[in-house]
Amino acid sequence: MTAKYVTYIMTIVAIASIISAVYVYAYYEGQIADMRSTISGLQSDIANLQSELYKYRNLTLVDDRGYVLNLTSYPNRVVSLAPSNTEILFAIGAGDKVVGVTNYCNYPYNFSAWIEAGNLTSVGDYWTPNIEAIVTLEPDLIFAAFAQEQVVNTLRGMGYKVLVLDPGNIDDTLKDIVLVGRATNKDVEAGILVNNLRQRIDAVVSKVADATSTPKVYYEVWYDPIWSVGSESWENELIEKAGGINIFADQNLDYFMPSAEAFIERNPDIIILPFGHGAEPPFWGSFDQVKARPGWDVVSAVQNDRLYTIDADIIARPGPRIVDALEILAQIIHPELY
Amino acid sequence: MSTNGVETTYFRRVSRWKLLLIILTVVLVLTIVLSLNVGFAQIPFSTILQILAKRIPFLGSLIGPSNISYPEERIILEIRMPRILAGALVGAALSAAGVVYQGIFKNPMADPYVLGVSAGAAVGASLAIVFGIGFTLFGVNTMPILAFAGSLVAVFIVYNISRVGSRVPVTTLLLSGIAVSIFLSAIVAILQVIAGKKLHAVVFWLMGGFSGVEWKDVWAILPLIFIGTVIIYFFARDLNILSLGEETAQNLGVDVEKVKKVLLIFGSLVTAAAVSISGLIGFIGLMIPHITRIMIGPDHRVLLPTSIIVGASFLVICDAVARVIVSPVELPVGVITALSGGPFFIYLLRKKKESYGV
Repeated sequence: MTAKYVTYIMTIVAIASIISAVYVYAYYEGQIADMRSTISGLQSDIANLQSELYKYRNLTLVDDRGYVLNLTSYPNRVVSLAPSNTEILFAIGAGDKVVGVTNYCNYPYNFSAWIEAGNLTSVGDYWTPNIEAIVTLEPDLIFAAFAQEQVVNTLRGMGYKVLVLDPGNIDDTLKDIVLVGRATNKDVEAGILVNNLRQRIDAVVSKVADATSTPKVYYEVWYDPIWSVGSESWENELIEKAGGINIFADQNLDYFMPSAEAFIERNPDIIILPFGHGAEPPFWGSFDQVKARPGWDVVSAVQNDRLYTIDADIIARPGPRIVDALEILAQIIHPELY
Repeated sequence: MSTNGVETTYFRRVSRWKLLLIILTVVLVLTIVLSLNVGFAQIPFSTILQILAKRIPFLGSLIGPSNISYPEERIILEIRMPRILAGALVGAALSAAGVVYQGIFKNPMADPYVLGVSAGAAVGASLAIVFGIGFTLFGVNTMPILAFAGSLVAVFIVYNISRVGSRVPVTTLLLSGIAVSIFLSAIVAILQVIAGKKLHAVVFWLMGGFSGVEWKDVWAILPLIFIGTVIIYFFARDLNILSLGEETAQNLGVDVEKVKKVLLIFGSLVTAAAVSISGLIGFIGLMIPHITRIMIGPDHRVLLPTSIIVGASFLVICDAVARVIVSPVELPVGVITALSGGPFFIYLLRKKKESYGV
């Protein structure tokens, strides 16, 4: 009897152990397979990251002058030589890397207070940035702008990394925002910003497409003498995108001095005068003074009292706020749509 | 007065000149070293001396490790040094050319720009700026090259307009210089009107200054100015004789036309070299020769080297002031030269009114 029971128990134990062994084997096999797939997943992740890293380690940037700059590491000390550059850097979240700005930089923060508090250094004027001030900051990346060729050449000659941002139109401005994002490891932020700006531009363009008229717009850069904008300026592009037409769009110039007669003869429906430009009060005085200029009373804009003003800092800087300028212009030119 | 007496006076004067020149040279060197101390970045003078000493062979290796920071060294050696030396060279060149032209034209109003050098350079530089004719071509700034070319073309035109056969009468030279300058200034004005947003750059160039001067600019103008002034100095004695009048000079055996030609060529060359990197700096070339003439007399053998050294020191000081007076913004150096030199010149003029003459 006993031997029989023993045989039974032995058989059951043997079967149980075989079954449990199979189970255990299957279980661990599954685990191992899972682990294997996890590992291979991780491996592909690592490969991706490595290729990503490789890409950034040899980041090749081309600025608006066609200058090619290879970045081997992301900058930690950035100097901006133009208000527009400063606005772009802060808009994409790279502001904490900025160690030097110009005296004209005043957005998105009151930088002169920062400079006074010693949290930021001024590198002087836009037109004559101080090279000593820049070098003292030991920057690892410098963003320059137009008309700074001499300073840029000197800095590059000394081995500093300099990118020149000089966009000619809105599209190039958006490209520059992406460029700054790539240079400062803020690709995603720059991409989101540019996407958002494009949507806002498209919204304006589709809105003014419904307009039944194309008002003639006169934009004044300066008075006495009169400076206005030709087709090469981007005020011209903004006016067109906002559903108007620049009265001097036939002039293939950026900024120029038209004759007072030409202004009267072109008979604008809308007059836009910027405030700011460092002039306080505005260079044109008051709307009443503008209307009282000799011969201007015959112009449609004066007769219909369609004089407007816009912040020069918004419209004149090739940064993210250029889209603000577009929206403001669209509301000025086509108030009936808003 | 016996011949012997004249000779003794002459030699006494020569030794006094030598002493004066040595003192002025020491002053120039001190000015250069001290102005290295002037700038936006606050760098202790001891550090500057260390940086300079490191560059001197043998002495440098004795100094050993120091606490010089990298940006400090670069600011001194790559930013301040070249612009200070450029200032000294330009001051020297403009003063030398001023002496030469005032001597040739026997006209106290003559300055280095009298033959249209400035207007020609302005046209060249404005063309480069407005049409952006490749700001850098093969790594070289094209603006100074165009400015240099423009000034030489202008002088060439002026010279050929006023040439009568093989002679170049100074009155015609002066008048055609003025005429060509006016014409070229009109071209610059046209360029300014169509410059649009580049207008600022043109205006800044016309005001003159040394911001952004690099070593390669200094190396480019150094040989021209050095050789030019040395050649001019060889003709100092002829300039003395020329001041007696061209006919008298001719009778005394001076080949007046040849001397004039050589002096005009090298005077223009050094001026063009100076203007090409500094832009238009007024006052120096007109006033420095007068100031030194009032101080030491009209003998060109001493007037020329003295003017060169005084002009170099003066411009170095003016540039130092321009760098810091409204720091970090830089003033055009021409503003400082005129503001500081004008009143001093008027003071000298009034003090020495009776004895003043060219």
